Amino acid sequence: MYPKEVEHFLMKVQKPGRYVGGELGAVVKDRSAVDTRFAFCFPDTYEVGMSHLGIKILYSQFNERDYLWCERVFAPWIDMEEQMRAHGVPLYALESGDALSAFDFIGFTLQYELSFTNMLNMLSLGGVPVLARDRHELFNIVVAGGPCACNPEPIADFVDIFFLGEGEEVDLEVIELYRRCRSEGVSKDEFLRRASHIRGVYVPALYDVSYHDDGTIAAVTPLCGAPERVEKRLMMNMDKSYYPSRFVVPNIEIIHDRAVEEIFRGCIRGCRFCQAGFLYRPVREKSVSVISDQCHTLCRNTGYDEVSLSSLSSSDYSDIVPMLTELSDWAERENVSLSLPSLRVDGFSDDILSRLTTVRKSGLTFAPEAGSQRLRDAINKNVTEDELIGTCSVAFAGGYSTVKLYFMIGLPTETMDDVADIANLAQKVVNTFYATENRARGKSVRVTASASSFVPKPFTPFQWEPQDTVEMLQDKQRHIKAHIHSRKISYSYHDSDTSFLEAVFARGDRKLCRAMLLAHERGIRFDSWGDCFSLSAWMKVFDDCGIDPAFYANRRRSFDEILPWDHLDYGITKEFLIRECRRAYESRTTPHCREQCAGCGAMRYGGGVCCEER
Amino acid sequence: MGEVSAVRNARIVFGKDQECRYISHLDLNRVMLRAVQKSGLNIWRTEGFNTHPYITFALPLSLGYVSRCETMDFRLLDDDEDMDAVPAMLNACLPAGIRVYSCCDAVHKPADITAAVYTVELSVSPDADAAVDLYPAMTSFLSLSSVMVEKKTKKGMKTVDLRPLILDCTAERCDGGVRLTMTLPAGPSENINPSLFVTAFSAYCRTELYSVITREKILIKDGEPFV
Repeated sequence: MYPKEVEHFLMKVQKPGRYVGGELGAVVKDRSAVDTRFAFCFPDTYEVGMSHLGIKILYSQFNERDYLWCERVFAPWIDMEEQMRAHGVPLYALESGDALSAFDFIGFTLQYELSFTNMLNMLSLGGVPVLARDRHELFNIVVAGGPCACNPEPIADFVDIFFLGEGEEVDLEVIELYRRCRSEGVSKDEFLRRASHIRGVYVPALYDVSYHDDGTIAAVTPLCGAPERVEKRLMMNMDKSYYPSRFVVPNIEIIHDRAVEEIFRGCIRGCRFCQAGFLYRPVREKSVSVISDQCHTLCRNTGYDEVSLSSLSSSDYSDIVPMLTELSDWAERENVSLSLPSLRVDGFSDDILSRLTTVRKSGLTFAPEAGSQRLRDAINKNVTEDELIGTCSVAFAGGYSTVKLYFMIGLPTETMDDVADIANLAQKVVNTFYATENRARGKSVRVTASASSFVPKPFTPFQWEPQDTVEMLQDKQRHIKAHIHSRKISYSYHDSDTSFLEAVFARGDRKLCRAMLLAHERGIRFDSWGDCFSLSAWMKVFDDCGIDPAFYANRRRSFDEILPWDHLDYGITKEFLIRECRRAYESRTTPHCREQCAGCGAMRYGGGVCCEER
Repeated sequence: MGEVSAVRNARIVFGKDQECRYISHLDLNRVMLRAVQKSGLNIWRTEGFNTHPYITFALPLSLGYVSRCETMDFRLLDDDEDMDAVPAMLNACLPAGIRVYSCCDAVHKPADITAAVYTVELSVSPDADAAVDLYPAMTSFLSLSSVMVEKKTKKGMKTVDLRPLILDCTAERCDGGVRLTMTLPAGPSENINPSLFVTAFSAYCRTELYSVITREKILIKDGEPFV
C-alpha cells in the first residue's frame, strides 16, 4: 500500500507501477501484531531490485517469523524523487506505505559500488540521518550486506552494522539481539558492542584506523573488545538452507522476470579477476531432488513458466544431466521452460542443450575474457581457443548464428598484442561459421565482441594491481576497433569512466566517506546509470575533499601494505592470494577445485567441494 | 496437446483497481498469463515456437484508469470445466487489485463495441495555483458548441472537435469537485479517451486537475451492454 497523497502525482512519473506494491505474494501484516520491523532496501530501481535473489530469500525467511515484518524499499527514479521531495512525501516501504524512519532496521544490500550514493539518498529521502553518529537511539539501525560489504570502508560512517557473507543466520541473530537489548533498555552503543561478538558482524564504529603520511594504513585497532578479525558467515548445508516457496510476483515487467533456483553457491574455477569466485568459497551444491522440488513449488506458487537455474557457473554442477532430466520430467508437462545462464565454453554439450526446453534460439553468450591464450592463462580462465571454436562450431551446426563474446581490457600483464587478439578471436569465430558444413542456410553470422574494463577487487589475487588509467583503457578500446575488419563483427565497450569510479570505491578506505557525503549533498546518485553519471562532478568532489582518486584506482600496492579490508576474513588466506598473483605473472594456471585443491584456506569450513572425493 | 471434444469461447469480466490501476496493458497481459498458468485452467495455447496460453482483451484500458468492466477471452479446452468456478480459480492467482466477477460464453465480438461509459471524478490538483469551483466551470464548458482538441493518431497529431463525440454526459457536484458520467465512442472505428476531455477542460478553466477515471460499462450498438 502506498501513501494516499502519491496518487496525486503518480501519473506524472514514468512507470508508476514501481511505486505502489500490491503484488501477488507481497506480505502485509498487522502493524500492531509485530514488534520489529525491517525495511529491506535495494539501492536501485524496482525492476533491478526485484530481480535480485537475495532479497527474495531473506524477505520470505524474515516474514515467516510472527514478530517480524520485512518490507521492500527501492530507490525512486529521479522523476519520482523530484515529486516526492516537492510534495514532502518521505521514501516509504511498499507493503505498509510507512516512511523509512518508522523502521527498527533499515537494511541495504550492496551489489555494486556505484549504488553507494543511492543508499545515502534513500536514507535522506526516508527522513533518516545519513551519518551513523547522528542516529543516537536504539532504533533506525542501518545494516548492510552483499558482496560490497567485503570492503565497506568507503561507507563505514553511514552504516551501523555490516553483515559479512551469507545472511540467512546472522541477520536473524542480530534481530533477536536487538529485541533483547530493547527489552533490557540498553543503549545503541551497547547493542552494537554485543553485536560485534556475533560471527559475521562488523561494526565499523568499533575500529579505529590510523594512516601513514603517504595515505596508506598504519593500523586498524579494535575498540571496546571488538574482535581483531571479523569472519564471514556461510551456509554449509544448502539442502537444509532456507529457500522461499513463493516470490513476490511483480505486476510490471522486471529485468529477470522468471522463477530463479539457486543450484549451488561458490565457484570451483578460481578465475583471478573474479571476486565472487573467492568470496563464496567453498562450492556447496544442492542435491538434484531438492532443486527439482524447489523449482516445482516456485512455479506452482508464482505462475512463472520459466525457471532460471542460477549459480556462478551452472555447467559446473556435478550432476547436471541427471538434474536437467529430472526437471524436464515435470517441466515439459507443465509448459515450463528451463534456462541455464552462466554456461562456460567448455561446459556446453549437446546433452545439456537438448534438455533445455527453451526453444527460442536467440543466441549464445560466452565469456573468453581475454583474446590470447597467454592472457587467459594469466587470469586462470582455463578456456582454450580450441574449446571455444569447437563449441561455436557445434552451436552453428545446431542452427545458431549469433554469438556474443565478452572480454575484459586492462587485465594485469596485458599487452597491446593481447588486446588485438580480441579482434582476431572474434574473426576466428566468424570464419568458423563459414567452415561449418551444416550451418543455418540463408542466414548471416553475427558476432558481438563486448569489452568491459577490468576493475581490481578486494579478496582476489589482483587486489594489489593498479587499474589502467582511463586514457590507457580508451587506447585499448581504439586498438580493438582498428583490428576489426569484418562487418559480421559488432563491437561495443563499457564506459571506462564508470569503471574508474568503481575501482576507487572497490578498494577505498574510510577517507572516502567524506567524498561520499559531499557527493550526496550535491545530489549525486544513480552512478550506475548513464543518464545520471558524471565523472566531472565526482572529480570536483574529490578535489574539494583533497582526495586523489588515482591513489585508490591506479596505484600498485605492495604485498605487505595493510589493505583497508585486511581485518575482514572471507575464509581465504592472503598467502594463497599472493601465490595466485605470482602465478599470474608467470602465466601459470591453477587447476579448479575438483581437479586439485589449491589450498586457498576454505577447507577450514569442513564441507562443500573441499570434502568431495576427487 | 491432447484430443479435445469441444472448445468453448469463454469471456471473463474483471475489475482493475487499487495498485493495479498502475499496470499498463502489456503488463496486464503478463499478469493474466501467469494467473492462467498458476490456476491450471486448461485453455488453448498458441502452437508457434514460443507456445503460450492464448488470451485476448476486447478493449485496452489506459494506464491509471480504474475499471469495473474489463474482459478477457480465451478458449476453454475442457468442456467439463465449470465456468462458474473460473472466477474463484483465477482470483486465487491474481493480485488483489484485479478481481474476476464472472465467466460466461462470449456472445458479442470485440468488433461490435461502439462506446464506453466512464465516471470521471475531477478535483483541483494540490499543485494548482488557486482554488476553482469546478462545477459551474464544467456547466459552462459543457454548453460550448465545439471543443477543439489535439488528438494523437497513427498518422500524427490531428485536431478534432470533441463536442459532437460526447455521446452523453451528466455532471454533479462531489467532494472537492465534480463527478461526470459520460459516454464516449470506443471500439475499432473510433476511440475517444476521456483524458482528452480532462485536458481540454483543464485548459478551459486554467487549472491543474487531478482526475480519477473509471470505465463502468462497454457498449455495443443501440447502447446494449457488451457481453
